[in-house]
Amino acid sequence: MDFDDTPDEAAYRADVRARLERAAGDLLHVGAGDRVDAGTHEAELRRTQRVLAEAGLVGVTWPREYGGQGGTLVQQAIVQQELARAGVPTLINHIGIGMCGPTVIAHGSDEQRARYLVRLLRADDVWCQLFSEPASGSDLAALRTTAVRDGGDWVVNGQKVWTTLAHVADFGILLTRTDPDTPKHAGLTMFVVDMHAPGVTVRPLRQMVGSAGFNEVFFDDVRIPDAERLGEPGEGWRVALTTLMNERVAIGGAGGDLGLPVETLVRHARERLPRLDPDRQVLARQAVGRAVVASLATRYTGYRRFTVLSQGGVPGPEASAGKLAGTAAAKLVADAGVRLLGDDAVYAAAADGDDSWQRTNGYLPGLAIAGGTDQVLRNILGERVLGLPPEPRSDKAAPFSGRPAGGAR
Amino acid sequence: MNFDLGPDQRDAAAGAREFYRGQASAAAARAALEGGAVAPGHKALADIGFLGITVPEAAGGAGGSVLDLAVVAEQGGAVLAGPSLVTAARAAVLLADHPDLAGQLADGSAALAVLDGSVDGSAPSLDAAGATLFLALDDSGALVAGEGEATSGAPLDATRGLASVRMTTRRVLTEDATALWERARQVAATVLAAEGLGAADRCVQMAVGYAQEREAFGRRIGSYQSVKHMLVDAWVGVDQLRSLVWWAAWAADAAPDELPLAASAAKAWAAEVVERAAETCIQVHGGIGFTWEHDAHLYWRRAKVDRLLLGDAAEHLDAVARLAVAGSLA
Repeated sequence: MDFDDTPDEAAYRADVRARLERAAGDLLHVGAGDRVDAGTHEAELRRTQRVLAEAGLVGVTWPREYGGQGGTLVQQAIVQQELARAGVPTLINHIGIGMCGPTVIAHGSDEQRARYLVRLLRADDVWCQLFSEPASGSDLAALRTTAVRDGGDWVVNGQKVWTTLAHVADFGILLTRTDPDTPKHAGLTMFVVDMHAPGVTVRPLRQMVGSAGFNEVFFDDVRIPDAERLGEPGEGWRVALTTLMNERVAIGGAGGDLGLPVETLVRHARERLPRLDPDRQVLARQAVGRAVVASLATRYTGYRRFTVLSQGGVPGPEASAGKLAGTAAAKLVADAGVRLLGDDAVYAAAADGDDSWQRTNGYLPGLAIAGGTDQVLRNILGERVLGLPPEPRSDKAAPFSGRPAGGAR
Repeated sequence: MNFDLGPDQRDAAAGAREFYRGQASAAAARAALEGGAVAPGHKALADIGFLGITVPEAAGGAGGSVLDLAVVAEQGGAVLAGPSLVTAARAAVLLADHPDLAGQLADGSAALAVLDGSVDGSAPSLDAAGATLFLALDDSGALVAGEGEATSGAPLDATRGLASVRMTTRRVLTEDATALWERARQVAATVLAAEGLGAADRCVQMAVGYAQEREAFGRRIGSYQSVKHMLVDAWVGVDQLRSLVWWAAWAADAAPDELPLAASAAKAWAAEVVERAAETCIQVHGGIGFTWEHDAHLYWRRAKVDRLLLGDAAEHLDAVARLAVAGSLA
């Protein structure tokens, strides 16, 4: 047992650091845990990713023939750790790299792969994932956006929602219903959609903390050439599962801190604890201690998953526990950070203007929903790790068109 | 990075599982509440060598690591075995410079207990009820050994052998032993968390097994999300506890500077995880889980006692916060 890099990993990490140092002048840098708005910093974020791609640090696990590095999952994790260490913000095309691109690689035509993948890695094109709808979030297969065949095209009508990056995206992968007369999972088809096509309308949604990070997207008679289909008609669910499996690897793989790093909380506590009165200090130390322990429990469990990657394995369904527990730990960290503010904790920003704790606290309810709600993750863990039976589903076998129009019963 | 057990440790765990399953059980823990002997008992643990895992080979032990011992202790915890390997691990640290006594620990010729609190009337201490030789820290900060009179209360978990002790004889083994004592207590907390890991894991297994079979309202209860999610939360806690126990045990041998933080993190997490697993196990079983005949309450008893031994969760959370702020983490 050890926590050191293997000689190969150490050499790779040193190489990554060297490349990052050479590129540093052209990269956007932020503080730990800070999130950069893609709307206001789009140009810098695109440039940052392009520079990193030219340095060979984007698409680490992608095959070389599609512009990737042909590397391992553990190399990918090392690059992520080093980007975080260098204060480089999340890549603007993280959804494209983690989810859309792998889906095109697995299910796209040679022509699609040639057209899209290298540009995606360079952030010449930004991608989004058009899955959730107002009436189908966790129950994704109940989606209602339709695509109807018309000659060599498909005509799309409907609405997507909670679509991260749609306001800056050039392309998206779009899951539609093409056959409403089959059961809900069987009638779906996936496409690549040009976000600049006529009939696509993107409306940013203001999130609860006030900023606009995701969007609703409307499709009014949007024409998509049949050549932009991913997989066969009716195979959309299988294609979507490729995307979702890659999402799990992207979110749960490396076990990094979600929210603000616990080290940031510890530095904050060092500064703020002495300012509280002694009785409050006792209580605040309990909150800090609990947050630290929960974070370390998640971090060291991530190291066990990382070990599996390091030995050539792939993450199993237990990786879903990383996001579930990481979200809970992130909430404890952010809440302890807010409480340490003392009287300032009731305001959106401290007297010195620092709003990082409140901002993070306000962002975390979304983390418990996005990419699999806490409850969906518990279902996955209960059924695939613990082997518990699924709940019976009354709508699984019936034709989708037979369900009540309102959705509610 | 290789944060996993090695093949030798996996073999040791498999061997320990087989031994403990043959020698101890929740049924034995139940019998102990009614006056039966603690199983496997001091002699059997000495004979198989578990009391000397971390005693140096020169003193008659196996010269193993705390991690080697922790993987064995987990298996003991799974069947509520006694005496505890916490005592063996803690005594082995304290007796590092006393190979004669360490040899007696390893071969079982003395039954040791380590006392918390005053030598004139200790706190309830693990395995003190049946011990023949007591180790303690006296008022001057010296490590002392001697005999004593043990007084037990009504046992909540009879496998723990808890008793308060007034030492009647004592000789100084090591002057100025405060730092040694602290380290021994941190190793003990780590091994206690390892035993808790085994117990909590067993609770989740029992509860999951029952939820896969028991039917209510026409289907198996594990299909209901209310039951499923409770089980998942218990399992996630156990999975994370395994990570903290391994880290702390590894640190005891390989990174002593990290041990105080890691041991307190593991002990604090264990206190809550084991309790939650035991309570979940009872709740999922319903009425049968609340009976004397069912095993669930024996794990619940273990959880309710262990959470308070060697410092409760609040004490260890406070320690974690103080250590982190003082520079152990950032």
